[in-house]
Amino acid sequence: MAVVTVTPDEWQFVAFDSGRIAAVAEKLLGEIGLDVDLKVEVDETTPMGRVSTSSLQPLVIAVESGAFEDPKRPRQLSEQAVADVLGRLLHRCADRIDPAFGDPPPDVALTCSSRRRGTPTPSVAAPARLPRAAPAPLYHFRNRTASATWPTPLRPAVGRVRPHVGRHPGVCDETDGVEVGRVG
Amino acid sequence: MRKLFPPELLARDGRFTRVTNEERFGDPRGPRGLAGGRPGKKGNNRLTPDLPEAPDAARALMHGIFVGEIQALEGAGRTCWDFETGKGREEAPFELKLDMARQCWDEARHCEISVKLSDWMGTELGEFSESAFLYEAACNPDPVLRLTGVNRALEGLAIDVFTTMKDFGDIAGDPVLEFCEDWMLADEVTHVKMGSDWLRRLTADDPERRANALEFQRVVDKLFSFGGLRGETDENPIRLARRFRELAGFSDGEIDEISNVSEEATREAASLGAEAGSEVGATA
Repeated sequence: MAVVTVTPDEWQFVAFDSGRIAAVAEKLLGEIGLDVDLKVEVDETTPMGRVSTSSLQPLVIAVESGAFEDPKRPRQLSEQAVADVLGRLLHRCADRIDPAFGDPPPDVALTCSSRRRGTPTPSVAAPARLPRAAPAPLYHFRNRTASATWPTPLRPAVGRVRPHVGRHPGVCDETDGVEVGRVG
Repeated sequence: MRKLFPPELLARDGRFTRVTNEERFGDPRGPRGLAGGRPGKKGNNRLTPDLPEAPDAARALMHGIFVGEIQALEGAGRTCWDFETGKGREEAPFELKLDMARQCWDEARHCEISVKLSDWMGTELGEFSESAFLYEAACNPDPVLRLTGVNRALEGLAIDVFTTMKDFGDIAGDPVLEFCEDWMLADEVTHVKMGSDWLRRLTADDPERRANALEFQRVVDKLFSFGGLRGETDENPIRLARRFRELAGFSDGEIDEISNVSEEATREAASLGAEAGSEVGATA
């Protein structure tokens, strides 16, 4: 059974609950199939929302408190935000830990253009796989190439069509469907 | 119809959640955190598409722009109505009202663009909270101060945000975002230019009024530099769009002053953060 640790235990600047964050993380680990201990380090001194994987073994995720915040209620915890943020990173970690995934470049070397070139890229669209109570906000630059789903008034004005570069490992169906997108 | 309509009575449906300025500016973490950003990580604060949190950050930022467009529409509309037509100090010339009416037309179009862009980015309207700061700046009883607070300061900030997000769309390979930003940016330059032109025309013979208006702009600029969120270095997530500001009628000196105000806001935020951090340390 994977052990999840959340720091800090007590919160001074935000109304977060370590137990609720740990519960969401445990559920995600089970659903993603990651049987590893996880440490979530939250920096509650900043409202910014940067997140990163500090270490894979042991698995440590660093989060600025804005990333877990309810977008409608400042300084309050949103379990949905926790699931979105941790889900995205844990899927990426699962890809990296899986020997079958190969040897992708480190996160800092991953760019949008490297993804477009077809470099093996750990998942960036993973929350699409998770069951959600509400429709997921899935903005991962869905329109890398012209698609039939473009807002109609925009289509004639856009002259750039980016070529489809083939399915990347770890990319979910929704993203791949967009990348394959037909010119409308 | 009443004049000088209060911000708390702006009409919104149940999807929208209002956050007060007290909540917004009373956050003990400060706008960029107690450390005033990310010390020692120079060049690491720009909003770029390769960051894991970039999609959500972009959605949140564009939702903020969307509610700003609604308030800009409401503010420009109020300026057409709140003042009698004339050339007196508490009046607004007919030509100024024509410009504000044109701005209403633009802002309404920006709202429509933003709604479609929100849909495109997977954002529900009202998904993020709304702060009424832009409209509040449009409630000033002096039309010149409205123009400096809204058209020059806040619409100027919009120029910076649109430029940043236009570049973001370009790097991300998202032409819909890129083109939406580009089109709205073109209008914002015009709106800021209107503010600059009317500021000079209405205060040509009244240096005290001009000084008051520029001071009000400075206050708004500083308030919405968000402790260094906007500036000219890679440490600032939003870049000061110098070239577009020149097109909008800002002189080099005025742009330098905004840059200095942003730096000042950064230093103050860092100082406040250090104080808060030491208090927490002492408590612990």
